[in-house]
Amino acid sequence: MIHVQHLSKTYQDLQRGRFVAVDGVSFSVRAGEIFGLLGPNGAGKTTVLRILSTILEPSGGIATVAGFDVVRDAADVRRNIGFVSNNTAIYDRMTAWEMVQYFGRLHGMKSDLLRQRLETLFDQLRMNEFRDVPGAKMSTGMKQKVSIARAMVHDPPVLVFDEATLGLDVLVARNLLSVIRSLREAGKCLIFSTHIMSEVERLCDRIAIMYRGKILDTGTLDELRGRHREDDFEELFFGLLSQHEQERRNGDLDGSVMADPGGWSVAATAPGETSA
Amino acid sequence: MSARTSVIRSTEEDTDRTRLSAVWLIYLREMRDQLRDRRTLFTIAVLPIMLYPLVGMLLMQIAQFSQENPTSVCLIGSEHLEGAPPLIEGSQLAASLIDAPESIQLRTYRYDELSSDSGWRSRAEGWVQAGAFDVVAVIPPNLAGEKSAEASAAADSTTDGNQSTPSSASGSNDAESVEQPRIEMLYNVGSDQSVLARERLVGVLSAWRGEWIKQRLAHVGIDPDSLLPFEWSDSNVAPQQTREAAFWSKLLPFIMLVWAMTGAFYPAIDLVAGEKERGTLETLLCSPALRSEIVWGKLAAVATFSMSTALLNAGSMLITSSLVFKNLNIAGASSSLGAPPLAPMLWLLVALIPLSILFSALALAVAAMARSSKEGQYYLMPLMMVTLPLVMLPMLPGTTLNFGTSLIPVTGMFLLVRSLVEGQYASAVFFVPMVLTVTGSCLWLAARWARRQFEDESVLFGGGEQWELGMWVRHLWRDRQTAATPAQAYACGAIILVCLFFARLTVSEMPTTFAGIAKLVMMPQTLIVFPALIMAVMLTTSTRQSLRIRMPHWTTFPMGVLLAITLHPSYMMLSKFINHLYPVSEQAAEAMRPFAEQIAAAPWSAVLLLMALLPAVCEELAFRGFIFGGLVRENGKLRAVVLTALMFGISHGVLQQSIAASMMGLILGWITLKTGSVLPGILIHFTNNALSVSLGRIAESNWHAASLFLQETEMGPVYQPFWTLIGMGVAATCLLYFGTMNPVVDESDSEPVEQGHRDLIDPTAALASA
Repeated sequence: MIHVQHLSKTYQDLQRGRFVAVDGVSFSVRAGEIFGLLGPNGAGKTTVLRILSTILEPSGGIATVAGFDVVRDAADVRRNIGFVSNNTAIYDRMTAWEMVQYFGRLHGMKSDLLRQRLETLFDQLRMNEFRDVPGAKMSTGMKQKVSIARAMVHDPPVLVFDEATLGLDVLVARNLLSVIRSLREAGKCLIFSTHIMSEVERLCDRIAIMYRGKILDTGTLDELRGRHREDDFEELFFGLLSQHEQERRNGDLDGSVMADPGGWSVAATAPGETSA
Repeated sequence: MSARTSVIRSTEEDTDRTRLSAVWLIYLREMRDQLRDRRTLFTIAVLPIMLYPLVGMLLMQIAQFSQENPTSVCLIGSEHLEGAPPLIEGSQLAASLIDAPESIQLRTYRYDELSSDSGWRSRAEGWVQAGAFDVVAVIPPNLAGEKSAEASAAADSTTDGNQSTPSSASGSNDAESVEQPRIEMLYNVGSDQSVLARERLVGVLSAWRGEWIKQRLAHVGIDPDSLLPFEWSDSNVAPQQTREAAFWSKLLPFIMLVWAMTGAFYPAIDLVAGEKERGTLETLLCSPALRSEIVWGKLAAVATFSMSTALLNAGSMLITSSLVFKNLNIAGASSSLGAPPLAPMLWLLVALIPLSILFSALALAVAAMARSSKEGQYYLMPLMMVTLPLVMLPMLPGTTLNFGTSLIPVTGMFLLVRSLVEGQYASAVFFVPMVLTVTGSCLWLAARWARRQFEDESVLFGGGEQWELGMWVRHLWRDRQTAATPAQAYACGAIILVCLFFARLTVSEMPTTFAGIAKLVMMPQTLIVFPALIMAVMLTTSTRQSLRIRMPHWTTFPMGVLLAITLHPSYMMLSKFINHLYPVSEQAAEAMRPFAEQIAAAPWSAVLLLMALLPAVCEELAFRGFIFGGLVRENGKLRAVVLTALMFGISHGVLQQSIAASMMGLILGWITLKTGSVLPGILIHFTNNALSVSLGRIAESNWHAASLFLQETEMGPVYQPFWTLIGMGVAATCLLYFGTMNPVVDESDSEPVEQGHRDLIDPTAALASA
């Protein structure tokens, strides 16, 4: 469903000059699979997902969604993808119903079909009780649901969740994860980015560990554990990161950015990317 | 893919063209969103509907107050009025001196009542300050005494004949030595009531003095009317519509445009910066709505608000003021300030629609740069500052619709509509094409800019980091590229123009020697070329590339020279036409004379060097080299051509030269774009200037073919008309030749980001080179 090959993205910014946010990333995701993109803030996850959603254009490499190229066939890609961003992105002065309806209409859905679809979605996500609540008065959980409904309104085969659990309380986050699981059952292709390891462990079929714009390793949880002979996922993750730091320092791959011990609170955040 | 998805997809058109349905959808959403916003509704609808009636009511009250409220006046020294014509009748001022005696409440004191108290004056001042009296007038003791006695003596003497003449003469001499009696009026400028009372009292006193003068003249046997050689009367011949509209046709468009601007700004901020702030822009961008559809939808919504704000304000003001004026009749029939005529004001709509859209597009483009609503307000302020003068200009007295003003954006439209409102259709219709062309092109440029902003990742997602001087300087050095960035190009242009402005201030008079003139010419050229050279050396990795010094195809050189020679007659014609439109003042022409004389007398080679080669090299390197190289990047071909032409024009300093140079700049910029090099431009520029300074010499030379091309006139040599025509033809052919060339775009002309993203198989290879 999703194929990403040698994808790269460079930004120009004041502090770091030309800055490589995504550096030759390759992966692919099948239908009926949850693919986890795990990495610290600023690893380039959001940039990858934004490129997949045609919000940004890649600087190099190729990415296709449902067989369509994200640059050449951007319009087709948009019809086949739903994007749930880390900020819930809700219009303050529109009700839940109106908001989802608006995006359905933008997708060119006929009104009777759209109505049906909205009813189903609102039932499925249990959103009927706040159908007419304006965005400004919604709780974070409600907003996140509207966000998901908005992304799913045109029933896209691919759904992208960019740090979707950020800022949600445990209960709402749990609900969200169960929604995502049910989407997998429905045969959707799902990408889920997060910096929370437990979510990845519980949810994802395959995982890519991303750091400083690169994918350090990718595979199922078991594959990763086997490959790195480490059962504890957290240890595995930090091991990979520090190994990369070590290599970087030795090879002096990129002298301009000083390594941060532990590599966790890395300063590198792509422009426009909000860190929590 | 599920069956439903394919249904959805099949209902959509499979094109990338802007769909009206999507634009309409976005428009409706934005409208609904804004209409639900209390603040927007308040500014756009409630404020104008409430504001003007409230202001009108206040005005009416103030007017009634000043008309009906009596002012209190205190006269001190009433006993000194004896012997003078009557000022006071009973307890009021004499009815013959004032239309409404009851409008002044009078209180009189005798001088001797108060003057026994030494502090009476400060007490009187206190009365005025405290508002016990609006005005206190102090009548001096000598007012009516000696003078009136003397006047009557003089009157007697005329009856007596010549005998008493000496005495009256000596008497008047004495009177001259005595100071004129002076009525002192104490009033308080801080109180409107006091100022009004003073005005009324002054009116009364002048009438009184007039009476007195008449009496005195009558005493000496002179008919007062015989002292006035003539009278005058006014009759206004302006048509009724013009007369009624005269005041309103100035004020109302102004009010409307200012509100159109305000009405565009706030929604624009909310619809772009606000949407960025909430994160909804991101979701909108990954919906099937194309960027163009988003822009058009938002533009339509902002323009709707801009127009409604303007209409509601202007309408509310019109209705309120016609009511106020009808009730009050403040101005009277003679004044131009009548009740506004309603029907002609419909012409204002003609101006409102395009200008609202223009303001909206500008506001959208600017707001797109802001990351939050607050930032948006900071950004829109400068835009307002730039646009406001264009709206103010037509308000200046003496600004009328003519060819020149019709070409100024906004101002031209404003003046055109004013003519229409005043019913001067015949004179207005002539300027319609100019105004429409200018407004149309401004609209197109603004809309294009807004659209580009929405397609630019760095505008939509950029910024956000802290700005630090040290970091910035490091960034400038570290991130040098082969050519200037657009920002550096803008900065270079601004530096050049500001330097030129201050340099011109230092020139006080025209030098009279050739050396002086050489200095005068070299100074601006130095100021033009140096910023560009310094920036090219310091801020780019390749000075040669950033100045666009490249070898184009060899044929561009002879073609360039041919173009310059054949275009020169048209250029001269254009300059002449411009001078006809905007005549140079006698003074300025006089000041330029020594310049021309010195140039004519100097050796030809020196003149060519100074007037042709130097400007050609300096100006081209700066404008068509460094600045063009920066602006042309990021798909800015049009921007580069237009803006370098404008900067090049403005750098000439004199309006007439600026316009001609801007035109020339467009051609030079286009050729620079096509050839990818600054060199053909230098050659064309040199040839053109060389011809301009050499025409006289060619005409005077004994080259017999010269008369084929040139004819002598009093104004100096001009081209033969047939040669001008042939020249145009040949020049057009040359331009066609340049037109067939493909614009040269090398690596430095486009961002590495855009460059060859498709053909990069191994991106790391590209990164290593970058």
